Amino acid sequence: MATVTEQSAEPDRIGSVRRGAGIEVEGLTHHFVNEQTGESVHAVDGVDLAIEPGEFVTVVGPSGCGKSTLLKAIAGLIQPTEGQVTADGVVVRGPGRDRGVVFQDLAILPWRTVRRNIAHGLEIQKVPRAERDERTRYFVDLMGLTGFEDRYPHELSGGMKQRVAVARTWAADPEMILMDEPFAAVDAQTRITLQEELLRISTVSNNTLMFITHNVDEAVFLGDRVVVMSRRPGRIKTALEVPVPRAERTLETMAKPDLVAMTERVLHLVREEV
Amino acid sequence: MSGARKVASATAAPAGPVSLPGLSGAWRRRGRAIGLGLLYPLPFLLILLAWVLAKDLFGLSDDVLVTPAAVITSAGELVDFGTLPGDVSLSLKRLAIGSLLAAAIGVPIGLALGFSRYGAMMFDPFLRFFQAVSGIAILPLLLVWFGFSEATLQLVILYTALVPIIFSTMTGVRTIPPIYSQAIETMGGNRLRLVRDVYVPGALASIVVGVRLGIGYGWRALIAGEMLIGAGGLGFMIFDARRFHVIGQILAGMILIGVLYLIIDRLILKPLEDVTVRRWGLQRV
Repeated sequence: MATVTEQSAEPDRIGSVRRGAGIEVEGLTHHFVNEQTGESVHAVDGVDLAIEPGEFVTVVGPSGCGKSTLLKAIAGLIQPTEGQVTADGVVVRGPGRDRGVVFQDLAILPWRTVRRNIAHGLEIQKVPRAERDERTRYFVDLMGLTGFEDRYPHELSGGMKQRVAVARTWAADPEMILMDEPFAAVDAQTRITLQEELLRISTVSNNTLMFITHNVDEAVFLGDRVVVMSRRPGRIKTALEVPVPRAERTLETMAKPDLVAMTERVLHLVREEV
Repeated sequence: MSGARKVASATAAPAGPVSLPGLSGAWRRRGRAIGLGLLYPLPFLLILLAWVLAKDLFGLSDDVLVTPAAVITSAGELVDFGTLPGDVSLSLKRLAIGSLLAAAIGVPIGLALGFSRYGAMMFDPFLRFFQAVSGIAILPLLLVWFGFSEATLQLVILYTALVPIIFSTMTGVRTIPPIYSQAIETMGGNRLRLVRDVYVPGALASIVVGVRLGIGYGWRALIAGEMLIGAGGLGFMIFDARRFHVIGQILAGMILIGVLYLIIDRLILKPLEDVTVRRWGLQRV
């Protein structure tokens, strides 16, 4: 860290030296048995997807199209029936700290305060106390959680919990960050703030990002590339580059004709699948 | 913390039926807490009333049922003889040792069984089986093995408290949402981390429930055991009193058994719950 802090003040605490970790999904097919209904689910079928190092890929598709299955396979939380996932050139066999996950249901621990939740990844990595505290404080401020450090999750609003979950993953500084509809449960206003925040952090850090959503506007606003999935069994229907560079995007640029056209196109592609 | 409380009182104040001028929110809340606290003794007062009425109405003699006042006199006598404090401390010491051992053994076993779905499945009927075979039911066997000894009494409590503690801990671990462990794994956490950061705190509410049940069952089993073993303790005291038809002493002992349990529960187990699960918002009401 010391060498990194010399370069510039702000961005380095978020993304340390990038090792250029890409993700490669080849022929991913997955079946599982729904434990409640007992029915066999064919979640994804023959998915091929390559995510470049430092790229921000958003994935959209109808509910139940296997988006989460794809993410879990990359995270190593499920063993796919067929195909394989390579992260940074290594075949994925289980979860690892190189692939951080922001879960849809947040998964921040109710028995840890905001501060200790955010510091959790650093604690696991045995980052020295002083540095851990500094990084944690940085993310507390960044996420607008100042004053809430010693609160427990049940004392926070939905939007704040969401920010804690994002901060926890970011503070741990994994090369790849996988986010599963992290803003689905927040109100529209908070969602916009969080999106802008995420966009800002992602441009100053250099993580490889995969972001799952069913919100088309969100997908176009955040991603370098938008991947559209078909309905179950999920396949990659198409992938589209977003014409405006991520660093130049604001809510205002979303009104630009080419972005409006792109959003409509993606919306149309998703609608075909519903 | 205090901020949240202030907000709560600020919103609660206007809704209150009467607003007393000059009385701060904190005082009003304290008054309300005391008011609610008065609910607890009410059922006890009712049974006391029934007791007094029954004695009067049916004209029961002192050989059958004595008055509450006579019970207090009996308790006083026992203290004066010097036997009661010894019996109480002996029983409490036995309970403390037995329950501590049961928790020290039961919690790790429960955690270990809870780690795997199949472990929990496999041991479910097994534990239910032993839950049905109470401490008293194994007493004859223990008497054959260990005689009328202190060891027999300790084992009765240990056995009785162990089963609910294991069962509750195991169930507690199984009901922790798997997403918490997944989150730790994606941050690179190993098995030890999972135990420390997820399983123990996540199952704590259930562990406390198990320990509460365990101590309660253990206390009952101990009293019964003491009656048979004859080596002092509250159980022996009330059983012995029966030989001389000293109803007052029997009732004094019974009341003491209940009161002591309430004190243990309030003084030890509730504070533990308050600083953990209640603070985390996990309280299961």
